[in-house]
Amino acid sequence: MSGDIQLIGSFVTDDACAEAIEALHHAKIVAFHTFSPFPSEKIAEAVNEVRGWGRSPVRKFVMAGGFTGALTGLVVTVGTSWEWNINTGGRPIASITPYIVIIFELMILFGVLGAVSSFFFKSGLPAFDQSPGYRTRFGADRFGLVVQAAEGDAAKIEALMRDAGAEEVVREAA
Amino acid sequence: MAAAVEPSNIQLSYLDVDRTAQRVMAPAGLKYWMWVAFCAFLAALGGAFWTRQIYEGLGVTGYGQPTLWAVYITNFVFWVGIAHSGTLISAVLLLFRTRWRTAVYRCAETMTIFAVVTAGLFPIVHLGRPWFFYWLCPYPNERFLQPDFRSPLTWDFFAISTYLTTSALFLSVGLIPDIANMRDISIGWRKKFYTVLSCGWQGTDRQWRNFSMAYLLLAGFATPLVLSVHSVVSWDFATMQTPGMHSTIFAPYFVAGAIFSGCALVLTLIIPMRKLLQLEDLVTIWHLDNLAKVVLFTSIVITYSYATEFFVVWYTQDPIEMMTFHERLFGLQGYMFGIMILCNCLIPLFLFSPRIRSSTVWLFVISIFVNIGMWSERFVLISGSLSTNTMPSQWKFYVPALTEVLITIGSFGWFLMNFSVFAKFLPIVSMTELKDGIEWLRKSGGERYPYRKAS
Repeated sequence: MSGDIQLIGSFVTDDACAEAIEALHHAKIVAFHTFSPFPSEKIAEAVNEVRGWGRSPVRKFVMAGGFTGALTGLVVTVGTSWEWNINTGGRPIASITPYIVIIFELMILFGVLGAVSSFFFKSGLPAFDQSPGYRTRFGADRFGLVVQAAEGDAAKIEALMRDAGAEEVVREAA
Repeated sequence: MAAAVEPSNIQLSYLDVDRTAQRVMAPAGLKYWMWVAFCAFLAALGGAFWTRQIYEGLGVTGYGQPTLWAVYITNFVFWVGIAHSGTLISAVLLLFRTRWRTAVYRCAETMTIFAVVTAGLFPIVHLGRPWFFYWLCPYPNERFLQPDFRSPLTWDFFAISTYLTTSALFLSVGLIPDIANMRDISIGWRKKFYTVLSCGWQGTDRQWRNFSMAYLLLAGFATPLVLSVHSVVSWDFATMQTPGMHSTIFAPYFVAGAIFSGCALVLTLIIPMRKLLQLEDLVTIWHLDNLAKVVLFTSIVITYSYATEFFVVWYTQDPIEMMTFHERLFGLQGYMFGIMILCNCLIPLFLFSPRIRSSTVWLFVISIFVNIGMWSERFVLISGSLSTNTMPSQWKFYVPALTEVLITIGSFGWFLMNFSVFAKFLPIVSMTELKDGIEWLRKSGGERYPYRKAS
């Protein structure tokens, strides 16, 4: 993020916020971030279009976790059987069928741990500093759009946000 | 479902959702603390009798040949079953994008956590030497001893611990945005408390993007997990040669029973809660009606399972199995089977009536009957089957001792105490999801849905 000032737009609906993002995109302004009280699909689509984001990288960590868990389950069960190889009634030393339960459970467990840890990591959590422009109402009933800009562009950006339906636009030093 | 929703005059705003959640979490009065103290007393009573059992040994219970699994294992299966509805409502219905889950899923998830914690205690209570329970874990030791991974009891350990971890993380991740919201509107020690728990969440586009994907994938994992956990629990019994238990139908039958009893307990908890905490605008009759439909559907599945179980026994003409099922119906504890059929198969049929589904009093009463019926079902399956084994000379019907009864009552006290404390300090309804689906909430609110005024 770079710029002399930041403009904090407050919107009543996610439609208006998404419209403002699209307007900024058309004006080739991409140094912004949003706040919303719930995961709005409209805002997400608009932001994804601007940033060229695909699906969240969290899924890759989940897949890695799942594979690691399944492999761990296989190694623990089969490895233990080979280490302690008592022949009971001619049954196979490593019986894969009952081990599938352990392998499955560990796959889920490691996958879940991968999902949660990557969610924290990729979202920058835990965060000890407040993001610039955050207002408590953005967690309650308003949608926030914070744009970093040069002083000279401020009027144009404010007009774009107000045209899209911003309830309030505040200027602050960046 | 959508077609049944009528518009109402209630125009809830996002702030109304916050205000309601804030009101629920306002400092508690004397009545609340008396309730928590009463639950704590029951839990302490159960704890005291467990301590006595550890000191005196399992002789203080009603255990004896041939019934060495009884009330404690019944309670274990009952509480694990209760837990399943939380995952069903929060995860499975999320994948299906079902709107009515939003108001009730947090309550169901919370119930899941405390039900699993309660369930996890019972195999330990059941042990003669509970201080050695950790022998089930594959931990490094100098003798290179490991648990038998072919044993369903070891599967249980892995399934339950994975389920508890997954459910706890699923609940915690979902709570973060709501706790952040509470952080912003709280003062004093609560603000500090929520600041720590919210981990600095601010709802930026990047955070929501990762949140949505992580939450979806957690739901994706939780869905097969919930099916596997109760299947594994059912295999504790089905892999035994005991007549009345050795059946391939157990896995789906147990899963359906778990959803049935769990949804019924959600109704039991949420109906008084919405009244006492004035949550009627957020948890509407529309939500309860849909929950009741799930109870009705799973009741029919359960009835079909009972019928199939009896049919298979009759079809195989195995004399021992036939005798076991004859005793189940007409034996000394046949009345338990009667309670089970009445509560699980017959009483839920009242839910076919839309008027009953929209009456909170009726729903509450029916949900209590379902809980009694499902506990009886587990008792009949476990104790009843073991009482009449393959050696008629050993047959002996089990009667629980005072210790088992009080520990069972204590488990309800423990569960309700934890649930009540959670509801007072953390958001028991998902503010985030209610705001996301506020249009649906507006449509379903008030007194016009669906058939008459909410009682």
